[in-house]
Amino acid sequence: MSITRLALQNFRKSVSTYLSLILSLAFTIMIIYNFQCIVFSDLFDTLEEPNKGYINVIIEVITVVLVFFLLFFIWYSTNVFLTRRKREIGIYVFMGLSNQRIGKLYAVETLFIGAAALVLGLGVGALLTQLFQMILLALSDISVDLHFQIALEPVLITTGIYVAVYTLFIIKGYVNIVRSSVLNMISASRRNEYVRENRLLLVGKAVLGVAILSTGFYLAVRAGGVEVIESLLAAVVLVIMGVYLLFGGFLPLLFQGFVKNKAVLYRGERTLWINNVVYRMRKNYRTYAMTCVLMLCSVTALATSFAMRNRYDNIVRFRRTYTFQILSDVPGSQEQLAGLIGRDNNILYESCVELLSLDASLVDTQFNYGNYMIVPYSQVASLAEDAGLEPLFREPAEDEVIGLSHVVLLSFITDRSDITYTINGRVLREIHDTDEPYLGYLQEIGNYLVVNDRFYDELKPLGWSVMYVYSFGIEDPENFAASKDELDAFVSAERAQGHYTGCVTIDPHDKTADWIKVLYSLCIFVFMVFVLASGSILFMKLYNDAFEERGRYKVLQKIGCSERRLRRAVSRELGCTYALPFAVMAGSAFFSVHALERLMSENLMTVYGVSVLIVLAFFLVFYRASVRLYYKNAGI
Amino acid sequence: MHSEKIVEIRNLVKDYGVKGFQTRVLKGIDLTIFSNDFIAIMGPSGSGKTTLLNILSSVDKPTLGSVLLDGRDITKLSNKELSRLRRDKIGFIFQDYNLLDTMSLKDNIALPLALNGVAGRECSRKAEELAEMFGLKDHLDKYPYQLSGGQKQRGAACRALITGPEIIFADEPTGALDSKAGKDLLDALLRVNEQGNATILMVTHDAYSASYAKDVYILSDGAMKCRISRGGSRKEFYDRIMDTQVSMGGDFT
Ligand SMILES: Nc1ncnc2c1ncn2[C@@H]1O[C@H](COP(=O)(O)OP(=O)(O)O)[C@@H](O)[C@H]1O
Ligand SMILES: [Mg+2]
Repeated sequence: MSITRLALQNFRKSVSTYLSLILSLAFTIMIIYNFQCIVFSDLFDTLEEPNKGYINVIIEVITVVLVFFLLFFIWYSTNVFLTRRKREIGIYVFMGLSNQRIGKLYAVETLFIGAAALVLGLGVGALLTQLFQMILLALSDISVDLHFQIALEPVLITTGIYVAVYTLFIIKGYVNIVRSSVLNMISASRRNEYVRENRLLLVGKAVLGVAILSTGFYLAVRAGGVEVIESLLAAVVLVIMGVYLLFGGFLPLLFQGFVKNKAVLYRGERTLWINNVVYRMRKNYRTYAMTCVLMLCSVTALATSFAMRNRYDNIVRFRRTYTFQILSDVPGSQEQLAGLIGRDNNILYESCVELLSLDASLVDTQFNYGNYMIVPYSQVASLAEDAGLEPLFREPAEDEVIGLSHVVLLSFITDRSDITYTINGRVLREIHDTDEPYLGYLQEIGNYLVVNDRFYDELKPLGWSVMYVYSFGIEDPENFAASKDELDAFVSAERAQGHYTGCVTIDPHDKTADWIKVLYSLCIFVFMVFVLASGSILFMKLYNDAFEERGRYKVLQKIGCSERRLRRAVSRELGCTYALPFAVMAGSAFFSVHALERLMSENLMTVYGVSVLIVLAFFLVFYRASVRLYYKNAGI
Repeated sequence: MHSEKIVEIRNLVKDYGVKGFQTRVLKGIDLTIFSNDFIAIMGPSGSGKTTLLNILSSVDKPTLGSVLLDGRDITKLSNKELSRLRRDKIGFIFQDYNLLDTMSLKDNIALPLALNGVAGRECSRKAEELAEMFGLKDHLDKYPYQLSGGQKQRGAACRALITGPEIIFADEPTGALDSKAGKDLLDALLRVNEQGNATILMVTHDAYSASYAKDVYILSDGAMKCRISRGGSRKEFYDRIMDTQVSMGGDFT
């Protein structure tokens, strides 16, 4: 009976060794594959410049993070595997096998494992993509129907990247075995993770980490013009490096301090779990750092998706302010138009505004967008009243303007202070920039400046063309088509008389803002992938650690440490494992969301809070699960 | 000097194996241990020494019989009570040291006290005091892998002693040590015993180790065969143990 048990135990032990590597690898493959599926899906087909450009920047950022993730995860899991296997296959040294042969043995073994992982990863990845797609569909009315075919490119690219990186680590393992001494091989598991590091080095790392991190944060939230894109990319790299150094320096410093201070250390189970954390620190700080970065990505992605959603709603609302807008050089047509529309639709509100159209060459400013329309303040003020919109900021003085802009998705130009316009030789300072839809859809396609009435009157006689905008909001926007024929007839009649007249009709089922849905869906998807990735890294790590604890817990039980106390020590240690990256993440995410805030010029702090809480909820689930599994694997 | 009973073993029987194919490893053992005893149980490999010790230290349960520790039958205690018993009344020294490689020697020694909720400063002081006695003062900050076997085992002895347990159980404590390291450990244990600080039950197959005890019981075939008490010098005691072994014809390797 004891032989069977021994054999069973041996089998289970090596299966767990193999399984943990296969699962880790398969998991990495899955993540990369999922991301490739997005890149190659029909998601981006509808995009046009400049949105396509924005998306490409975002994809680049994600790719940087994923490459780090891939390298790290494969490095980590092969390393764990190598130390375990070294101990077992090291026995062959005594049977007269050369290091080279043992190395080959290891290489072949890992090769098979790698192949199995590839098949598993792609298979599960394909299923998971479908699952994510369903979640996405269920999640929101605005998400896009994503179609992930099982295309060849994602499979090939994923396989290519994986094979390249994995081969690298097989070779590394082979070289490691060939170079190791017999003693080293047998005792591999004992000493792989050690313990106390030079204090000065740690302080240096910690200080450098904080410095790099702060630089990254500064770059992320700094206001600026077009160079913001580059500084954002730089910020991503700096934050990753900074987090890495912070966990490599500050954390060991802190915990070594605890271990030194016996009055703090010797208190109940503390000595157990703090010593455990220190013992594993060298190996684990990278795990913490990686988890932290992945979580940061997932929170940022979630916050972005929330913001996208808001923004989508706003853009749609902006556009739907008026259903009909007639732009004409003929004054006084409001009543006639109201009569025409009134035949088939009930008008809720209407307005008319006079404006001067200026050629771009007559306006000088930092960001030159093309033609400018000048609107007198009093006209906009009465329009706001008619249409029930927010009143303007305040009346501009004669050397001031208010810009009328529109809701944009994001703008990489985040510094909007000190904008001036030179019109007709006068320098005007922009005192405010509003995206209240005073001019509805037209505001989206042109540049409008509100000026003081007296200055307007000064400009008017200079002979630039004067236009009138007649806008109508109706009760049932769905019924817009009913009034179309009357308006078309009106427009053609005026054009026939040589006037410049045009009409804008807003179709509520219009699809031109749908590309934002694409972004929204992408962000949710990225969030799911990253949350899963970061949770699983910790989960995997704890799963591996637990097996090493078995022996120790047996001893502790023998010397009278009750199961309850062991469990408490475990839950503290694991809590620490999850809480540390989470805390650093929550701090960093504040800055990343702040950067997003600037890009989208919107207050996203609520979004930040909610996103962090959602990730926290995910982590609590992961935490509970890993504590359970830990008890089981460590045999307590 | 009047000494009190610490452990009382009555008719202890232990069977291993499934029903119908059982082997009786312990065949009715009786033994009483008094305070400040130093007892060695000697027997050849496979005679049931570890089994006996495991039962005494409540890691294993007997098939029949009772073990009274401090007047309470440990075979009838709940898991929780057993944990507390092991924590408060018993100290262990294992053949393979069983120090935790995650912590320094000092933390290892102080561990049982810290777990008992004793203040950090007091833990530190006691650990240092014991380390001094066991010649480990300069090694307190080292990790187990940086220590020799003898140092580790002395550390384990300190850990066993730090809570001031009623009894120390040691299972072949010198089994993995060379003779010099073994002698250092036994000397230290003897000193603690002679100062009246510890009651020790040691299990060994080695006559030299056994000669450090006050009484030696010979376990053979699962039963106590005889008891030899120390009279004169240790050398003389050792010779008597050897003679007994030879006369019994057991295989003590
Ligand atoms: N868990 C077990 N199951 C079955 N038989 C066991 C078990 N543990 C020990 N034995 C048997 O009991 C006998 C005594 O073992 P042990 O107490 O370890 O001897 P010692 O420590 O004196 O060398 C041996 O024959 C051994 O095979
Ligand atoms: Mg034994």
